Amino acid sequence: MRVALALLWKDLATEWRSRDRLVAMTVFSFLVVVVFQFAWPPMEPEEVVRFAPGVLWVTYVFAAVIGLGRTFAMELENDAMTALALAPGTRGWIFLGKAMATWILITVVQAMTAFVFALFFRVDLSSGLASTAAVAALANVSICSIGTLLSAMSVRSRFRDVLLPVLLIPTLIPVLAAAVNGTTATLAGDGLPFAALQPLIVIGGIYSILCFLLFDFVLDE
Amino acid sequence: MTNTHPTATTEPASDRIGLALRLLGWVLLGLIPIYAWSVIQAPIDSVQGVMQKILYVHPPLAYGAYLGFVATAIAGGLFLWKGQERHDQLAIAGAEVGTLFCTLMLITGPIWARGAWGPGNWWVWDARLTLTLLLWFVYLAYLLLRSFTEGDERSARFASIYGILGVVLIPLNYWIIDLVGGAMHPDNIEFEGEQRSLGEGMGLPFLVGNLTFFFAFAYLLVLRWRVGVLRVEAEALAFDDQSSGL
Repeated sequence: MRVALALLWKDLATEWRSRDRLVAMTVFSFLVVVVFQFAWPPMEPEEVVRFAPGVLWVTYVFAAVIGLGRTFAMELENDAMTALALAPGTRGWIFLGKAMATWILITVVQAMTAFVFALFFRVDLSSGLASTAAVAALANVSICSIGTLLSAMSVRSRFRDVLLPVLLIPTLIPVLAAAVNGTTATLAGDGLPFAALQPLIVIGGIYSILCFLLFDFVLDE
Repeated sequence: MTNTHPTATTEPASDRIGLALRLLGWVLLGLIPIYAWSVIQAPIDSVQGVMQKILYVHPPLAYGAYLGFVATAIAGGLFLWKGQERHDQLAIAGAEVGTLFCTLMLITGPIWARGAWGPGNWWVWDARLTLTLLLWFVYLAYLLLRSFTEGDERSARFASIYGILGVVLIPLNYWIIDLVGGAMHPDNIEFEGEQRSLGEGMGLPFLVGNLTFFFAFAYLLVLRWRVGVLRVEAEALAFDDQSSGL
């Protein structure tokens, strides 16, 4: 666990100093939101609310792909990957540290994106804000788990920028469907029934445990 | 990693696989004429016409589509555990043959849908079609991962990991799609009672079709597996010859 926390601190400190991933993901998310404005015909705010969960989660997934692509790319510099592999204990803790750092980053980006989305499309996200945040937080566990594992795999391949989305997006379909389902309920003011949270909890648990165990086979340095 | 190197005292893996292949080939050779005859003599559906006979092709393809990935995942898990290359070759065989069956399923499904549900209904987002499409994307991702990863051993290891993740996706996707809704696919086939889905004379070709496609999948899987194992054995022999200075 100390390894995971050390790695979490290292990644957050690196990100705070450079802010390159944060800026890239945030700008990209804002651009996607703007693209949707031009992709849609004019709609009343009540109609926009119906599409809001889908638009938000498509934006979140694509922004996550951008961010996850850099998770291990920076470790390739100065052979830092070898240093990671030499860390004491199970390599799953390296996975956990990386995944937690990415979770924090993605959650911050999602919060800013939601604010911009509400502003541009005049959608009131304040009703059920805590519930929506809970859905996002749980979905991010799945996204960051599977994304961290696949990022470590794709970083040592040709066409890594293309390979990661191709590997990641099929695995995110169940998360996306469950997250949109949950967000639809929270934005409609229906509260957050456990039935909407249950798929996210199950998928998050399965992905986290599986990726923790399989990460040992990924780092071969 | 242990290679299967043929020696004077050890029967190579390819020989054992070759025996299984011959057996499967004979069974398949026997089934194909029976299948063809049963489909030709099957009655034509009064509502869907001759298009209904895709029933004897489309559902049986599902065996290959899903079993292929199960084979890939199990073989990948064995490779991670034991490190033997023949397991990795089985995983590749499962993925390639499974992709073929999945693609055929995605082609025959819309053809049947158009014939059964009318013009414009080539595709609907119901649970089974959606699940099959997602499985197809997972297959493609697996094959791309193998192609793009540098290094044979690393490629095999990463593909094994993705194969295990992919097989977990099958029940997850099924559950999620069921939760969030999906509607138009025909229900599971009923064989008994008033709700029988199959008319008189359709049971036999359906059963034979299922058997034939199952054995066709098994035959193609073992054939592709044997090709992979033979290549590995040939490379090991060439390496040994090179090392000994021949």
